[in-house]
Amino acid sequence: MTDRVKGIIESINIDSEEAIGRVLDQLDTLSKLTDGEKTDLAAVLTTIFYHDHAGKPDMTRLANRAEKQIARFGEAALGTLTAELTDADPESAAHLGRAIALNGEKAVAILLDTWNNKRDDDFAIINIVQALSYFRSDAVIKSMPEILVAAKSKNHQVRAAALYALGKLALRLSAEAFDEKLRLKMFDTSFNLLSDSKPLVRKDAARALGKMIKKGILIPCQRKKVFKAFNAILGNDEQHEWDNAFIVRHEACHFLPYCSEAETLADKYRQSYRIVSKRELCDKTFHFAIEAPFIANKLQAGQFIIVRPHGLSERIPLSICGWDADAGTIHIIVMAVGKTSSEINAMNVGDCFTDVVGPLGERSHVKKHEGTCVVIGGGYGTGAIIPTARDLKALGNKVIGIVGARNKDLLLMMDELGEACDEVRPTTNDGSAGKEGLVTDVLKEIMDREKVSHVLAVGPVPMMKAVSEMTRADGIETFVSLNAIMVDGTGMCGACRVSIGGETKFACFHGPDFNGHEVDFDQLVKRQKMFVKEEKKALATLEI
Amino acid sequence: MSEECIKELSNKERMNLPYQEMPLHPGIERIKHFYEVPTGYTPEMAKAEAMRCIQCKTPACVAGCPVGIDIPAFIKLIEEGNPADAATKIRESNFLPAICGRVCPQDKQCQAVCIVGKKNDPVGIGCLERYAADYERENATLKMPDIPKSTGKKVAIIGAGPAGMTAAYELRTRGHEVVVFEAFHRAGGVLVYGIPRFRLPLEIIDEDIAFLEKIGVQFVYNMIIGKILTLDDLLESEGFDAVFIGSGAGLPKMLNIPGVNANGVYSANEYLTRIYLMQADKFPKFSTPLYQGKKVAVIGAGNTAMDTLRTAKRLGADTTCYYRRSRDEAPARSEEVEHAEDEYLNWKWLSNPVEFITDEDNFITAIKCEKMELSEPDDSGRRRPVPTGEFFTEDCDTAVLALGCDVNPIIPATDKKVRINKWGVIMVDETTCQTSKEGVFAAGDAITGGSTVILAMGQAKMAAKSIDKYLKGDLPDAPDVPTDPEHWVKEWKFS
Ligand SMILES: Cc1cc2nc3c(=O)[nH]c(=O)nc-3n(C[C@H](O)[C@H](O)[C@H](O)COP(=O)(O)OP(=O)(O)OC[C@H]3O[C@@H](n4cnc5c(N)ncnc54)[C@H](O)[C@@H]3O)c2cc1C
Ligand code: FES
Repeated sequence: MTDRVKGIIESINIDSEEAIGRVLDQLDTLSKLTDGEKTDLAAVLTTIFYHDHAGKPDMTRLANRAEKQIARFGEAALGTLTAELTDADPESAAHLGRAIALNGEKAVAILLDTWNNKRDDDFAIINIVQALSYFRSDAVIKSMPEILVAAKSKNHQVRAAALYALGKLALRLSAEAFDEKLRLKMFDTSFNLLSDSKPLVRKDAARALGKMIKKGILIPCQRKKVFKAFNAILGNDEQHEWDNAFIVRHEACHFLPYCSEAETLADKYRQSYRIVSKRELCDKTFHFAIEAPFIANKLQAGQFIIVRPHGLSERIPLSICGWDADAGTIHIIVMAVGKTSSEINAMNVGDCFTDVVGPLGERSHVKKHEGTCVVIGGGYGTGAIIPTARDLKALGNKVIGIVGARNKDLLLMMDELGEACDEVRPTTNDGSAGKEGLVTDVLKEIMDREKVSHVLAVGPVPMMKAVSEMTRADGIETFVSLNAIMVDGTGMCGACRVSIGGETKFACFHGPDFNGHEVDFDQLVKRQKMFVKEEKKALATLEI
Repeated sequence: MSEECIKELSNKERMNLPYQEMPLHPGIERIKHFYEVPTGYTPEMAKAEAMRCIQCKTPACVAGCPVGIDIPAFIKLIEEGNPADAATKIRESNFLPAICGRVCPQDKQCQAVCIVGKKNDPVGIGCLERYAADYERENATLKMPDIPKSTGKKVAIIGAGPAGMTAAYELRTRGHEVVVFEAFHRAGGVLVYGIPRFRLPLEIIDEDIAFLEKIGVQFVYNMIIGKILTLDDLLESEGFDAVFIGSGAGLPKMLNIPGVNANGVYSANEYLTRIYLMQADKFPKFSTPLYQGKKVAVIGAGNTAMDTLRTAKRLGADTTCYYRRSRDEAPARSEEVEHAEDEYLNWKWLSNPVEFITDEDNFITAIKCEKMELSEPDDSGRRRPVPTGEFFTEDCDTAVLALGCDVNPIIPATDKKVRINKWGVIMVDETTCQTSKEGVFAAGDAITGGSTVILAMGQAKMAAKSIDKYLKGDLPDAPDVPTDPEHWVKEWKFS
């Protein structure tokens, strides 16, 4: 040890703020310190960091000066600093960390080395992560992969420290430091941890996301997700269940204004597909009203929609049984028969569909007829005929509705249909309501009684086929709405092919209504069974 | 290799350098997975390939590129060890280099006219483009373009395929507000629901879409224009100043033969959409089913057919291609046919399907074909297939028709002012891409009935330029009778 260093060290009295101040002043005047001298001085100066600063504001100031002084020693001091860092208490670790961080790129490498050697020491890792969070140089980006791994640690304090660093660095480094992949990983990691079991972790996750948004390194859809999540944390969503930890809510509240951006042009067109009402019609069959104002604004009788309840779902077509253009809602009836329909029926008010597309298909054929119009529904089809019945009636037609079901409990939407028709005739297989028998029995009765000019049948294929057979001889205009298997619903795939009068048509956009006398019903039934085996397999995986 | 050394090479020496073939996953291995088939150049290979370019003064390759990329310039940058700048150079004319490097038919465009190709293999322009783009992506060297202050003009883009994406980019970088309306629940168009992952990994498309989002292009999904909003709605009540139609082809051609509606007979669109858009290969985790047979017959020999064949193979089927002409007439990109040929597929050239045979439940059980032979070349020089009267039948439990598409009628059907030709193709003025409706422009498969990504992009650029002019009031009125794009269709017909 050189004499001048020895002199300084001896004059240090760690309890006296004055003495420390003097030493630091003295150090400023020394020139050309050797590496050896620097190392020795660093070892002594760090003792200031361990001192209890409580109630001594000057001491904190001096410690901050010491940080800078040590940092000036450069590499010569880095070894000592990192060695001490790994088992320092949090407060001292902060000072050590800042002193290290001032060294920039060289220090990153040393910290990562230390990290490697201390892999199993959570305590050390927390201090290292904290030190990394103090860097201002983009060089620290090299440590991001390690920090992201630490965010998955079993130890929740490590997770929290990692998130803390993530947020700090997100805000502090230049935006260019974060490439696409890294941004995505940072987002995913933090977003997942919003639902961590530990409040401390959730808090730091919220903070990290908030800072990423503030920095502008998230894309709109990510910002939207965060916006939604923060509102949920604050209990502002439909569930009204806030996060019970105040510290988490506090962060969400603080950063919320940063996520809600000015309304963009496109926002206007983003429909929520939220379920605003749900009611049970009969066993396994529900009526839903869904928020989709643009669809509601354009719907016409006979058209349909395609939905995906969630991100892994298939796209399934559903008939429309009504809509409310003013309220911006569309109404559907879902009967649980397979996996996707069961999943839909498990959804509740406030839940949102992932996708709803529509309106699809052509409007039903409606015009003023001379004779009576008969609309016939079975199952969900009872709902589907209501809008057409209403249109027919509005044109001055006499409209009779026939509804078929196995028993009276399965008759649905009778009131609504009643309002749209002049007369409604229910039929049940067991005679528990209305006429015992099939819809065709009633249709026959009506045809015998009066002149029928137009028939629309929507429901199970055998029913539509029987109706078409019955009207064929008299040449009564008969339309059926074909429920073929579909994918896109726009004519792009051809999954919905049907044979109409020997010609191939696409049910989704040439239809869904076709002349019942021309439909190859046998082929339709068989094509509907294309995926029976797969559907069984899918149903077996149903989790609700 | 030092600078000196590079300079010393004469053109003759360069032209004699061997072509650097991009390494591939071997056929036997790759048919078990969906990873990308060519694995990319190493920096050394890229430099070696770049050295083969003789830097022509009037480069034929640039003229052969539908978007006019400065090919010699970017190749030179690669040769100088500067792939990041090479990517920037390409981006001056093509903002989707990673995609185009992978899917463009270079063998029919730039590489077809490459001077080096007269004596030796042409320069691997596509491979080099891919190399530069991959370098840029992997090393995050892409710089965000400057977006000028908003002009306050709003443009609606219909369809988020390559045409729509390009128009969005071109208009956004000119400072207009751009909203893309897409019918599906995700962006990418055919790139996502048609072209397989092993040719074009999904991350690449997603990154380009994220890039567009970042420069302020706004996407709205589940919007079928024509249905939920009409062109008039967009231009009137919604206040858009112009509309660009990039809605693609999207109406598959089916055969008119017995059994075509059998269970297990798909259009390629349906088959590929189920797998790539809806992820039916991961059924039942993803709920979209696919009736995937053990013996799959694919009809056609275009790109779509190759993609279908190779997809079915990867799903474990014994797969056969049926095509009514011979291999030489196969319209697919030659590299695709070559890759497909290494993948243990069966080929029935000169076989014209005449019937799909079904069981009593309407499931397909076999395909019946008529053998064909080629006529003498006709006036157009093409040899036509003629029936021989000889038939054969082969078992199969799935058949996929890859016969190309017609144009989806939804938009023209809901706006009579948009004129279409007898094939349903939207007619445009060929110098402006303006349709017969004021303020409405179109490009891509919607005006060609099916061509290529790069042509769609080239047209979309032209359309964007016209829209920009239109918004400034510098464009003449919409033409009464736009040019019939038939010659485009002929020239660029692809799948
Ligand atoms: C299997 C396959 C392989 C191919 N391989 C190649 C290849 O290797 N190289 C190559 O260059 N080309 C290839 N092609 C052709 C190429 O993909 C197309 O030429 C190109 O995608 C056309 O781009 P586009 O933007 O015009 O249309 P598309 O990519 O079809 O995009 C149109 C978009 O518009 C949407 N849309 C349609 N109607 C509406 C509406 N009414 N409202 C809103 N949105 C709507 C669609 O959902 C779609 O997303 C291939 C095609 C297929 C099918
Ligand atoms: S559902 Fe795809 S074409 Fe009809």
